[in-house]
Amino acid sequence: MIKFENVSMVYEPKQQNVALDDINIEIDRGEFAFLVGESGSGKSTFLSLVLREKRSTDGAVYVAGQNLNRIPSHRVPKLRRDIGFVFQDFRLLRERTVFDNVAFAMEVIGASRAQIRERVPDALKLVGLEDKARRKPTELSGGEQQRVGIARAIVNRPSILLADEPTGNLDRKNSVEVMNVLNRINQNGTTVLMATHAHELVSEYRHRVIELQRGQVIRDEIDGQYMPMTTVVNQDGSRELLVGDSAVEHDEDSQFTEDQKDEDQ
Amino acid sequence: MKLGFILREAAKGLRQNVVMVVSVVLVTFVSLTFVGASALLQLQINQMKGYWYDRMEVAVYLCDDSSSSTNCAGKEVTDAQRQNIEKVLKSEQLAPYIKEYAYESKDQAYKNFLDQYKNSSLVDQITPEQLPESYRVALVDPEKYPVINEALSTVDGVDPVVDQRELLEKVFQLVRVASAAAAVVAIVMIVCAVLLTGTTIQLSAMHRRLETTIMRLVGASKATIQLPFIIEGVIASLIGGVLASGTLWLLLKFLVEDKLASENVGVAFISTNEVWLVAPGLLIIGIVLATISSVVTLKRYLKV
Repeated sequence: MIKFENVSMVYEPKQQNVALDDINIEIDRGEFAFLVGESGSGKSTFLSLVLREKRSTDGAVYVAGQNLNRIPSHRVPKLRRDIGFVFQDFRLLRERTVFDNVAFAMEVIGASRAQIRERVPDALKLVGLEDKARRKPTELSGGEQQRVGIARAIVNRPSILLADEPTGNLDRKNSVEVMNVLNRINQNGTTVLMATHAHELVSEYRHRVIELQRGQVIRDEIDGQYMPMTTVVNQDGSRELLVGDSAVEHDEDSQFTEDQKDEDQ
Repeated sequence: MKLGFILREAAKGLRQNVVMVVSVVLVTFVSLTFVGASALLQLQINQMKGYWYDRMEVAVYLCDDSSSSTNCAGKEVTDAQRQNIEKVLKSEQLAPYIKEYAYESKDQAYKNFLDQYKNSSLVDQITPEQLPESYRVALVDPEKYPVINEALSTVDGVDPVVDQRELLEKVFQLVRVASAAAAVVAIVMIVCAVLLTGTTIQLSAMHRRLETTIMRLVGASKATIQLPFIIEGVIASLIGGVLASGTLWLLLKFLVEDKLASENVGVAFISTNEVWLVAPGLLIIGIVLATISSVVTLKRYLKV
């Protein structure tokens, strides 16, 4: 569904500011993948390449079988109709109702009134807001607003859903709500790629994890967690796979961790 | 559906941005008024040219006793000289330039003079003898006067060759200067209008960045995203154009038709009809300029 082939992205011609460095990634139809990494690691660049907001300086980006570096710019809108996008800060139109916010995404691509009347309620139902269609965004909680944002992103039935830190502005309870909605959408067959810092969610939901660092993929785990797995050697000589931070919290007597190693010396 | 959407968005832009839109309307109004005024003055020159040139002739005056020119040698023109002049007028070299010519005797000249200056006291002081006889030559193209002058001014019996247009040229020159001045002001004002329209569209685009970002990412076409802004600029310019046309119409109606024309009956003035010629041009200029400045601005400030 999404395929990066030796993709590099350099913002300045001097080759010093490398945003992505020789990335090879393939995300299949129907997959759910987390894109993690520090700020500036290249997550946003990754997403904007998928949306063809930018063209990669090197390599090829394929989305739904099309090489995005090859398609002419007048075909870009058509490509984007097959991709839903969820913003961190919701980006809802305040003066419009929930229904109209979702309808907006259909209006601007020329959908008929009949189509809008049919699809918007479906989308709102999928995110669990069918009874709040007439409310204004300001009357909703953050989690509800984000679900409106998700409904807007999927109302045109895209095959890919990109989410850029969708829970970044939400508390734990609302984040879980949003994650559940994204999971449901994924289960209906939509490919979901979510850039995030929310380590609890990543570790909890157990999807594929792609970690970027300074523009390179340093980890790609099916069924991954937020922190990289580390091999820990127990005192009895057995080995165990543990997740980064939790290694320290793990039963300290039975482990030979980095910390202890330092103390011993 | 989509067109309705685009128009609604444009209307929203006009409402949100009303102060800037009003200033675009006003600047466009003033600049197009000057463009129109310059064009109308040009039309006025053409009108006068057309009117007068039809009536203007080249006068080939013939010698009489009082002539001082060397062609005359102080004597009145002879029959032979007259025939010779007529031969030159009929010659193959001059024929293509001459529409018609006529001989005017001293008596006819006197009659015409009486007609022209009926109400003047000059009439009493002039006798037929004082007026020279002449050939009145109407030219195919009045601008080709020098050809006639060259061919006839050295012929014996010809006193001077006078192009009556030379007198008018001074008036034309004045109107031309006025027209050029209006054109210069118009150009400066148009630059203002273009820049202001650009700024207004830029502000409008910033106002609605949220909408355009969403539109872009859900795959709205470039036209759907940009057209509302372009329409906004075009509508503001059109209003300016209509105001300019109205102002010019009023000026011509009350200043030219009702005042100048009625007080100077013999002079050909342009009328409100000419405004109908100029107005579509003004509206088109308004639309084109607004479109260009909107498109250029959007290219820089609105990512698609």
